[in-house]
Amino acid sequence: MKEGRRRIARAGPRYPGWLALPAATWYVLFFLCPLAIMAAFSVATRTGFTDIVYGFDLANFRYLWDPLYGKVFLRTMELAFFGTVATLLIGFPLAYYLARYARRKTLLLLLVIVPFWTSFLIRTYAWLIILDSQSPLLGALRAIGIDRQILFTPTAVYIGVVYTYLPLMVLPVYATLERMDWTLVDAATDLGDSPFRAFRRVTLPLALPGIAAGSLLVFIPLMGEYLNPVLLGGDLTVYAGNLIAQQFLTSRDWPFGSAIAMVVVAAMTLLVLAYAKLASRQTEYGS
Amino acid sequence: MTDDLRPVWEKRYSRKGFVAISAMTAFLAACGGSTSADDEAAGPATTAETAKKLSGELFYYNWADYVNPETYPAFEKATGVKVKKDFYASNEDLQAKLQGGARGYDLIVPTGYMVQILADAGLLTEIDWSKLPKVQSNLDPKFKGLPFDPEDKFSVPKDWGTTGFVYRTDLVKEKPTSWRDFYDLAKGPYSKKVTVLDGIPEVVGSALVMLGYSYNSDDPAELEAAKQELIALKPHILAITSTEYKQMVVDGKAVMALGWNGDGAFVASKKPAQYVIAEEGGEFWVDSYAIPTGAKNPDAAHAWIDYVYDPKNNSVETAYTYYGSPLKRDLLDGVLDAEVLGNESVFPAEATLEKLEPNSVSAEGTKLRDRIWTEFKAA
Repeated sequence: MKEGRRRIARAGPRYPGWLALPAATWYVLFFLCPLAIMAAFSVATRTGFTDIVYGFDLANFRYLWDPLYGKVFLRTMELAFFGTVATLLIGFPLAYYLARYARRKTLLLLLVIVPFWTSFLIRTYAWLIILDSQSPLLGALRAIGIDRQILFTPTAVYIGVVYTYLPLMVLPVYATLERMDWTLVDAATDLGDSPFRAFRRVTLPLALPGIAAGSLLVFIPLMGEYLNPVLLGGDLTVYAGNLIAQQFLTSRDWPFGSAIAMVVVAAMTLLVLAYAKLASRQTEYGS
Repeated sequence: MTDDLRPVWEKRYSRKGFVAISAMTAFLAACGGSTSADDEAAGPATTAETAKKLSGELFYYNWADYVNPETYPAFEKATGVKVKKDFYASNEDLQAKLQGGARGYDLIVPTGYMVQILADAGLLTEIDWSKLPKVQSNLDPKFKGLPFDPEDKFSVPKDWGTTGFVYRTDLVKEKPTSWRDFYDLAKGPYSKKVTVLDGIPEVVGSALVMLGYSYNSDDPAELEAAKQELIALKPHILAITSTEYKQMVVDGKAVMALGWNGDGAFVASKKPAQYVIAEEGGEFWVDSYAIPTGAKNPDAAHAWIDYVYDPKNNSVETAYTYYGSPLKRDLLDGVLDAEVLGNESVFPAEATLEKLEPNSVSAEGTKLRDRIWTEFKAA
């Protein structure tokens, strides 16, 4: 954070602004414009099955102010939070190993990215087969005395979520650890820190920007998670993403669907701002 | 269904099948406005020279696996019209695409309630009955003036079927015949071995009908009672799915499933199983041919409809899809395989049909059901 700010201060005014033009145009056309359309929808009303009457009516938001939808939001946040934590707990050691000990880094990094070569939908369908009660994996678990139904349970959803988002956590954490000056850790141990203490007081604080970036990359899409709960969870729970899809694709209530989406966007913006603030403060303490 | 020999992947997209992501991408494509449909339909009609009576191309947008593959070349031979195909996975897919501005399709097959929605939105053109002599003479009068299109202005019935449940006769020793049986067995001995469709009107409707109300009820008190039944059922459900349940019942992971008759017939063709139209009643649906606004070749669309209303051509279709034919029954006698014609899952008895209702849930009813469905899923 601090380093970044310094660099910008040094070279700031001389950046040619037009370099940002293609990206800025893209964002305005395909992000801000659709967002504005959605905002307009969210305060419109539906009449009949298809007609949308534009205006300014907060009825959709009032309708959303309901313990039922509150429950759906809480459940979504719970999935996003625990999904992120699980991905971090599993992804960090891998990134650490890759950055510090791995011999064939390029190959291993490639392996982290390889799943992206196959369609996300097909990979999720593959999990349906792996977690099936008649699969070899479940057979092996039964052989050692664990006889449990996994498919169509929250466990299956979390397995799918961690699998899907792991690369998004590993890559930024790896990038940070890879740049890290490991002699600092050596210095800490030389000066009497135990390896664990050195990790806690040196490595971890230095890795925080990567952890923060990875967590955001996982947390944000998880707030709109749709496919894993449907396919691996047997569609037995409803999350914000599914609720929005239900409005657009089944109940044909675009204004209400837009209102839900707007609330998710707003909640996410607040959370991300709070998180960014927290992460930057911690970095300052750490470095 | 007779699609035993086709790969699993194809079956996922069967008539009533619904793969979430395909709906999502179709929806996103619809939002994009222009689709390949516009561009491709604008291309040159390569068969124009070889045309006999008609010319050009028929762009047929349909449920996948809902036409006997033999019918396409036979139709092309008979009329000189080349058929171009595109597929959708749900009525809402079709709606999203047409509303998003996709044009160029000549023929579509929405379910009744969707005919009404599309017609109200001005997305359908009127049917020219003078171009349909065979339909006029062969259509069973009970399929005329259906509630979703009372004047037969926009639609011609293609197939019809029912929503009930299927159970494995070898794994369920009780003989369920009603929704009450289905719910009680699901909450009792077969807990977590039961699936329901991912369909709001179908599932809410089953509880309404069980309680003696109309499948299409808009009454908040009746819907509240139905909701209580659903919430009590929820912990005992293995999965909510419209696509995977056939296979789950075949594999025995599920032993009962709320679903459509064609899927029930599919399961029964593989394992000892019985499809049941519940005693209390249920849904009776009709999928109809319709011609969307902006069709390039409405004459070819009329030609297709009239072609499949020939009893012989129609039997080829019915023997393939295992869904009921809207032709007069005596016309099918001796033409359609007696085994299909006598199959109660395909052609239920008249008395059974009288208890069934087509889906005609109002917009308000849809809104109330949407919340019930969310509560059911969140329970």
